[in-house]
Amino acid sequence: MAVTKSKSLQLLTAAALALPLTTVFASSDEEASFQYGHYEDGTRNLFGVKSAFKPIQVDSIQSNVKLKLADRVRLAFNYTQDTWSGATPVTTAPLAFAGNRQRLLSPKILSGASPYLNNSNVFVDKNFNPLQQDTKTGKFLSNNQLVHTLSTASPETRKQGDFRVGYDWDEASLDVGAGTSAENDYNSSFGNISGRFDFNKKLTSLNWGASYTQSDTEAYLDHDAFPYIERTTFGSRVDKAGLVTGTKKDWAGSLGITQVLNKSALIEGAVSYTNSTGYMANPYKTTAVLFVDPTQKIGSNGQLSGSMLAFIEQRPEERNQWTENLRFVQHIDTFDAALHLDYRFYHDDWGINAHTISGDWIQPLGDGWSITPRVRYYSQDAADFYVPYLVSKQAASTITFDEDGNIKRTSYNPRLLPQNYSSDYRLSGYGALSGGLTVTKQFAKGLELQAGAEYYTHAGDLKLGGGGEGNYADFDGYLVNASLKVDLAALSVANSVHSEHAHHHSHHHGAGVPAGIMFDHVLPKAGDVMIGYRYMYANQAGATQNGTNVISDAMIVHNGCGAKQCFVTPNEMSMNMHMLDLMYAPTDWLTLMLMPQFMDMHMTMRELDNAPTRPSPLTSLGAAIVHSEHEHTTGGIGDTGMYALFNVVKFENQQINISLGVSAPSGDSDIQLRDTHRQDLGFIHYGMQLGSGTWDFKPAITYTGDFGDFSIGAQLNGTKRLESKNKAGFAFGDIFQATGWGSYSWTNWLATSVRGVYTLQGALNGSYNSVYHQIGPMDYVNSYGGRFVDVGFGVAASMPDGSLQGNRISFEWLQPVHDDVNGYQLPREGALSATWTYMF
Amino acid sequence: MRFLYFFCLIFLSACSNVSPWERGTLAKPHMSLELSPLQNSLRFHQYGSREAASGGVEVGGGGCGCY
Repeated sequence: MAVTKSKSLQLLTAAALALPLTTVFASSDEEASFQYGHYEDGTRNLFGVKSAFKPIQVDSIQSNVKLKLADRVRLAFNYTQDTWSGATPVTTAPLAFAGNRQRLLSPKILSGASPYLNNSNVFVDKNFNPLQQDTKTGKFLSNNQLVHTLSTASPETRKQGDFRVGYDWDEASLDVGAGTSAENDYNSSFGNISGRFDFNKKLTSLNWGASYTQSDTEAYLDHDAFPYIERTTFGSRVDKAGLVTGTKKDWAGSLGITQVLNKSALIEGAVSYTNSTGYMANPYKTTAVLFVDPTQKIGSNGQLSGSMLAFIEQRPEERNQWTENLRFVQHIDTFDAALHLDYRFYHDDWGINAHTISGDWIQPLGDGWSITPRVRYYSQDAADFYVPYLVSKQAASTITFDEDGNIKRTSYNPRLLPQNYSSDYRLSGYGALSGGLTVTKQFAKGLELQAGAEYYTHAGDLKLGGGGEGNYADFDGYLVNASLKVDLAALSVANSVHSEHAHHHSHHHGAGVPAGIMFDHVLPKAGDVMIGYRYMYANQAGATQNGTNVISDAMIVHNGCGAKQCFVTPNEMSMNMHMLDLMYAPTDWLTLMLMPQFMDMHMTMRELDNAPTRPSPLTSLGAAIVHSEHEHTTGGIGDTGMYALFNVVKFENQQINISLGVSAPSGDSDIQLRDTHRQDLGFIHYGMQLGSGTWDFKPAITYTGDFGDFSIGAQLNGTKRLESKNKAGFAFGDIFQATGWGSYSWTNWLATSVRGVYTLQGALNGSYNSVYHQIGPMDYVNSYGGRFVDVGFGVAASMPDGSLQGNRISFEWLQPVHDDVNGYQLPREGALSATWTYMF
Repeated sequence: MRFLYFFCLIFLSACSNVSPWERGTLAKPHMSLELSPLQNSLRFHQYGSREAASGGVEVGGGGCGCY
């Protein structure tokens, strides 16, 4: 090393030499982040058919924690959860064949476009072009317009957890990771390994990676279309009940080089290869096949008659994919901005070539603000086996008579169909253009907030070189996201400066407050900020109760559903709730608190013994009962709490705080089940809604006292619905809760707590104002609420020093000891609360 | 053909000579190749559920997103 350099230059040199070129500065080695995202399709053009289905929408949350286990050892955890519901295309057919059949639910309400995939009475001309018959004149007119057939889905949730462990050498790194993703019909597990070598004075980096993913499909065919779907060509992949099973295996590898070009530009080139084998089709997509007997006599108007049948799509069982990426980053000194240009070429042996070009301009605005406009263009060719619909020149079925005069029906010959076919618009030729804007604010002490929005438009006309799919497949959509990121390393630096402040708050006051308690403290002075994350899990299972008594199925059948009889009863219900806890003190005497929530709920039901005979599944009540055999799931944003907290009494070690606030109805309270067997199932069970749908007043008064290593506390809180009903026609009952606790600090960082809770909750008011089917006690408003007693056991740890100083984590298990339920309900099994908080 | 990148980049590496104390601009957060990884994971998941050409962005991952 040069010994003539000044000390500052040496330090700068050391810092710069330590810089690896990839995945560095935007992410710290120690950080916690949380993101919410929402994607929504626009309404599809169905060419005159009015659809009541809501377009598909997806709500996502992601949380990510990165920690340093040792000087050179990194650990990262990710959790992702997506919930989606709404309508997507299941197939494509000529508009003349009426694949989207409208249906009147009532004289005023038009149900949308239920999938109707088969039609045995369609017409084509001698060149097999679709004909539409004028209902008035009887004449046949050519109509080549295609249209998607839509089907809607009940809410479904995917959860993914993964981790990564990394080790850094001076000029290399190695990362090993694994994870799993679970949803109702698709589970996958994956492992990966990646690494980096720096050389050429760290001006060049070689990056490599490899991964293996195994994905298992276990999906029931679309309930609404199940009776119509042809399965003859599908072999053993599908059983008689319509269960499709298959496994897919992906091996992937990548190799890249990152190169510093000059002091303000760098470039990266990478190639990757993926080999996939196994089941790669989508079990919910079908291809319409038009059967026309070419030997038939041409009709008087030049028409040929035919039949349209729907087949489950079939894709090749092997796919080899190659991608080539080029990424270029240029600093624009005049604006202190950075221009990012990316190009990707993709090629696979399904016949798809795709080009992606994107550009981002990151413009710092000063004071921690930055703004990033972005544009992206994507274009792909169609897969070799993509067809909007198939034409098979044979009769769907032929009727002949044998020697004895018996009718003999002969079906089509499946061998005359192609081996693979798909009408999934994602395999068609098209282009997609998107543009977005991201705004980021970096606060001192390592807190970063970000909000982004992106508009996406897909169109056949946007395909590079033309020749894309027709306009029936065009759609648009938008994606919005908001995220919060905390640089834990930056926080620890801030702490070391203000260690006395952090020390005070992490050690004494509130050290043992149970994780399930909110509103227990205010921020001490103006300008203070606290952020936190709260997780809550609650579960109900066991034998159904009426009041405090366990009751028989016969009792539920005859008494649980008012004047009617019950068919099913809940078997298990669970809820996961993720909450952000954001506190800010604008003045010394006032603390404001904002609490957005994201939640998901799950419910299984069982048929009651001695239940009455089920109505036909072709009735809406019968279809609702059949649908109850599947797990019901909902998920998305919950209600948002907004509170003002005041300290009203304060002695040396004791204080009383008051919290006044409202809960805004940001969570959905009108979620509906999907259509099944062409029946409208209407609203899902009341308890599965994500929000109350009403503005709610939520006051709380809290006492806390610290006496040496012992602390005690008590709280009264309530929820008063400010509206008598929400837009779906009902309101949840008011809630009153009283709780008291005691805690003991065993060391300067560990405390445990015990508490008791009494909760009183009223039954529901009103009832759903549109279609819903009452199949069990959970569909009756008087089977909600009750009187409950719990005992809680908690543990809390505050980091007194080290790099995570000032962080506090706590857990509490609430064990029910007394359930006195209104109506007929499952008893509670318990609830887990976990919190992480950090005060600046 | 697809390894052309590597030859080009290795060739470029011979031309480049940026001293460590000249890398201040390269060290700025907005010069990172991995901009907003959290936001990108959401965006790429959405593209992946809408487009045939997935992969190539990063190694690994899972989930169907079959909507």
